[in-house]
Amino acid sequence: MSDTELIEIEPSDGAADDAAQSGSTEPPTASVAVRAQQLTKRYGSLLAVNQLDLIVPRGSIFGLIGPNGAGKSTTFAMMATLLKPTSGRITVMGADPSVKPRTVRRRMGYMPDNLGVYDNLRVDEYIEFFAASYGIHRTEWPALIDGLLELVDLSVKRTAMVNSLSRGMKQRLSLARALVHDPELLILDEPASGLDPRARVELRELLKTLNGMGKTIVISSHILAELEEMCTDIAIMEAGKLLAAGPPREILDRLGGTRTVRVRFATGITESFTVADDAEQTALLRRLLVDEERDVVEFVEESGGLEQLFMTITEGVVQ
Amino acid sequence: MINPVLGRELKERMRTGRAFVVIGIFLSLLVLTVYLVYQGTKTTGQIQTDLARQTRLGRDLYEWVLFVMLALVLFFVPGLTAGSIAGERERQTLLPLQVTLLRPRSILLGKVLAAMSFLVLLLVVSLPVMMVAYLLGGIRIIDGLKGLGVVLLVAALLTVMIAALSTMAKRVQTATLMAYGFTALLILLGPLLYFTMRVADGSHGNDLENPPAVLLTVNPIAIVADATAGENNSTQGGNPLRWTRSQVVKAKSYNSDAWFAWFPEDDFGAQFRIVNGKREGFPAWALGSLILTGVAGTLSLLATRRLRTPAETER
Repeated sequence: MSDTELIEIEPSDGAADDAAQSGSTEPPTASVAVRAQQLTKRYGSLLAVNQLDLIVPRGSIFGLIGPNGAGKSTTFAMMATLLKPTSGRITVMGADPSVKPRTVRRRMGYMPDNLGVYDNLRVDEYIEFFAASYGIHRTEWPALIDGLLELVDLSVKRTAMVNSLSRGMKQRLSLARALVHDPELLILDEPASGLDPRARVELRELLKTLNGMGKTIVISSHILAELEEMCTDIAIMEAGKLLAAGPPREILDRLGGTRTVRVRFATGITESFTVADDAEQTALLRRLLVDEERDVVEFVEESGGLEQLFMTITEGVVQ
Repeated sequence: MINPVLGRELKERMRTGRAFVVIGIFLSLLVLTVYLVYQGTKTTGQIQTDLARQTRLGRDLYEWVLFVMLALVLFFVPGLTAGSIAGERERQTLLPLQVTLLRPRSILLGKVLAAMSFLVLLLVVSLPVMMVAYLLGGIRIIDGLKGLGVVLLVAALLTVMIAALSTMAKRVQTATLMAYGFTALLILLGPLLYFTMRVADGSHGNDLENPPAVLLTVNPIAIVADATAGENNSTQGGNPLRWTRSQVVKAKSYNSDAWFAWFPEDDFGAQFRIVNGKREGFPAWALGSLILTGVAGTLSLLATRRLRTPAETER
């Protein structure tokens, strides 16, 4: 895909309205959690992130999708004050992570893609340690630990040693650690990797709960179906470049991608139809029910829309 | 509020059996030293009646215990401290720590204090062993405390250096190798340079061509030897501290006209820096400690920079 094909879709929440009112094409800072402008990171001859323009709306669950080596983790590291961009600019909750890292760290929780925990601590001691590291007063720890463990469903493991936890539990504990200072923004790099299906579902529900609490979540994952269900906005990266960004359905429509609708009739016959967008899908249903008067008992859009989109716009480029 | 890293490290360290094994080995070796030195003194049978011999045995015992204590510190500090930061990297726990509000210097300080706390514990539990020498009359209580203090000083400086080096490695194994290599360098580099330069000079006179004696003082053993010197015959006889002390004194006497002359101008015959009954000049142990403090300080600054994330410019 060439640069000219790259699309940038305005965020789906009220941010776009705010922008329209202010007469600007960009959403105002107050409604943006992360804004990257021409963000570039180079490691020697390797261009890990290449002139990335990205807007993460506040209150969204934003999925960053891309094959291995696409630059997702590097982008996350720049958001999380761990890396300095080679060029371009990034602001997180209105502050530049390179200039005001502590300001950003107060408002951001980061969960890296690797699962590093202190095995010789108890679960409550682990959270206490990070509470102390964020300067939270000792008197607040008991209530904080109670609340976090309840949220991540680890209350029964409060005094268990961290090394006795399963991978899924450790993942949830890591999430509790990232939440210890009640950040407005959560940056989660591959949080579901290595989890069994049940643990993945639990994690997804937990992230939805956190989003319901008003937290903006930026997440990367290889499991596209999961992101499709959860994310309000997505960005697709490949070889350090942004290929598409915006609400998944809008990207599908704008790219002219097709989707498959499976229809089962009362006669027991099942047929598949290919449609381009929501309008065509509605038209198909109307045609079957009204024009052709057929007895439709099931009308299902086949899952894999995001996967299909991903496969359509990425080329499998590896740097 | 206690440094969070210190609190966590102490919890983790004391929770495993390793700490108690180290304390056990440390104490056992010191007790064995006392036993061997005591048994090794042929005149043991006369101790009850010969006060001078008893005092000398006490002094011997003190210096041997101090030397073994120092040797154990030089052995244990790299092993206990090398993994402090490299271990965080290897366990992949450093990134979550770096995105907290802890400053890099607090992380390093917590690691150093945790290692130091354990060393203080080690040295304090060994105090009764050292005080056997006091019971024999060879040392005063203040000598015992001074010996302990200077070993602690060396241990503290080495801990800072090894913890700082630990930030340069990604794996504990590499950090451990680096730590032991650095400790060996610290002990051997000065003396090797000095003796090589002396062989090259060949004049053996008291002249400017002689290698500077300061080379011998930048050494943990020389620092302890010099700081714990007694006032009588403390450079004679057979134990490693006395031998080291005599080498430092010789080096000073060979080099009294060099820039190093502000060191006490010892009368080589007197074998120590008492001139006309009073100390003169700047003590070798203090100079050695100052130089090591400089090295430790520089390494800590480099380590703090290493712990700072690349994006971190805010202070």
